[in-house]
Amino acid sequence: MTAPTRLSPTDVPNEPASSHPVPSLLTRAADLVASEWTKFRSVRSTYWTLLVALVTPVGFSALVAVAFANAPAAGGPPPDPLLPEVLSLEYAVISVSVLGVLGFSAEYSTGLIRTTFTAAPRRRAVLAAKAVVLGAVTLAAGELVAFASFFLSQAVLAGHHQGVSLSRPGVPGAVLAAGILLCVCALLGLALGSIIRHTAGGIVATLAVIVLPSILGLLPAPWSGRVGRFTLLDAARQVAALHPATNLFAPGLSLLVLLAWPAAALALAAVLITRRDT
Amino acid sequence: MIEVDGLTKRFGPVTAVDGLSFTVRPGHVTGFLGPNGAGKTTTMRVILGLDAPTSGRATIGGRRYDGLIRPLREVGSLLDATALHGGRTAWMHLLSVAQSNGIPKTRATEVLRLTGLEGIARRRAGGFSLGMKQRLGIAAALLGDPPVLMFDEPVNGLDPEGIHWIRGFFKALAAEGRTVLVSSHLMSEMAQTADHLVIIGRGRLLADVSTADLIESSARRDVLLRSPRAGELAGLITARGGAVKPQDDGALVVTGLDAAAIGDLAAAHGLAVHALVPRQASLEDAYLDLTEENTDYRGGTR
Repeated sequence: MTAPTRLSPTDVPNEPASSHPVPSLLTRAADLVASEWTKFRSVRSTYWTLLVALVTPVGFSALVAVAFANAPAAGGPPPDPLLPEVLSLEYAVISVSVLGVLGFSAEYSTGLIRTTFTAAPRRRAVLAAKAVVLGAVTLAAGELVAFASFFLSQAVLAGHHQGVSLSRPGVPGAVLAAGILLCVCALLGLALGSIIRHTAGGIVATLAVIVLPSILGLLPAPWSGRVGRFTLLDAARQVAALHPATNLFAPGLSLLVLLAWPAAALALAAVLITRRDT
Repeated sequence: MIEVDGLTKRFGPVTAVDGLSFTVRPGHVTGFLGPNGAGKTTTMRVILGLDAPTSGRATIGGRRYDGLIRPLREVGSLLDATALHGGRTAWMHLLSVAQSNGIPKTRATEVLRLTGLEGIARRRAGGFSLGMKQRLGIAAALLGDPPVLMFDEPVNGLDPEGIHWIRGFFKALAAEGRTVLVSSHLMSEMAQTADHLVIIGRGRLLADVSTADLIESSARRDVLLRSPRAGELAGLITARGGAVKPQDDGALVVTGLDAAAIGDLAAAHGLAVHALVPRQASLEDAYLDLTEENTDYRGGTR
């Protein structure tokens, strides 16, 4: 340990502060976002989860495309030329969900949350700042994965004359929409991490909310569609499809369903965050 | 100035703080004393807006903590030095705290220097000793150069040099006119650091006194006397204006006369004295007297 600095009268500025100009709301919001961005980029878990979220689906999309292209007799061509890309994105869901949960659970488990809330007693502003940072990064990551997977899988499918081009009407929108999935899951994780305040519990809850409702899609028709249209993963497939399923909501409405999941969870988190002791 | 007014905090059936009122004034180091579980940390958490009071209120400069804009410029605090993300470097930790209150980077560098941490700023906090974590926590509390400072058990984990440093540090902060509240469960520690003491037990206020007054009031001097002719001596001492309290084991505890006077008295009357021990109650004794009835967790040997 380094020797402590002896305190001389000039070390600590005199005249304890009493009044400061009140900074604007925008300045304070920017301060909180800057603080959360510093936290986000200064731990290794951020990089590992993002690396897994980026690499796994891109590689996976090529494998799915190869499988689709080489099994025309058994399964025929893929029901939707964009499906390999959507399926592969779902493989990034786990790691971005973990990233989201950690945003709060890591602070609760270490006690750091008290430092955070002491520095920013308006807790909903902290929730919002974390959501902005996490949302921006995972949206960028999701779009990167979506387009990389698209080009890779289409390159494979094109070799078998089954691919589609980005210039085809409806394709750019569908690929863009597919990229939202990671941001949606990360924000859902952030909200549940804030509610549950525990890493393992938060991860289990987030994955349960994402995956378990999809089981309802296995119900016999027409119930599979009637219930399935409200599930997060089916809504994601619907917005990202070139040929949307007819038994689910239209893509526009499905997009609302997709966004409603994290929105509802964040709203619940915002209510609880000011009501509980830390 | 910190004002706590009729503060009560219950956790289910447990009352952690029970109608507590006190004021912490600027320009002094105020010691916040009490046995483990007395409610010190809970009180500090309520002051900082982390826990909501069941009833009563706590204000800083007349305002509730959650009403403060950029609170780190008003109040600096350290509750738990181990509350760090182990994977984050000291510098990144301080930077994130500074940014949340619009405090410039240069100030973060400054507090690292003040706490003697420049050399390890780029190391991950997970590998720090408790003493280094305490210094990092104190650095974070100083970021906003606040007029009010609160520290919960800051001496824990510090080596003797660190303890010496921190005492001087608190005194220097108070000498600049700041309000400094420091909690501890050790009277001996606070006696050397604090000018004023707020002592609580089981969530209730036991004493709100200046350290000097407590020392004065607790400085009961007496003399322990053993003699085979204790009865006769007791009569002589009382006649001279002393007070005598017989003990179970036959000894006498004398107040009002010092050892020399008692010895002379005994010699003048040819009475044998087997023991003559001047005694002084310590501040620690005064503290134990105060808190004895108000301790939740006590070892079996006392």
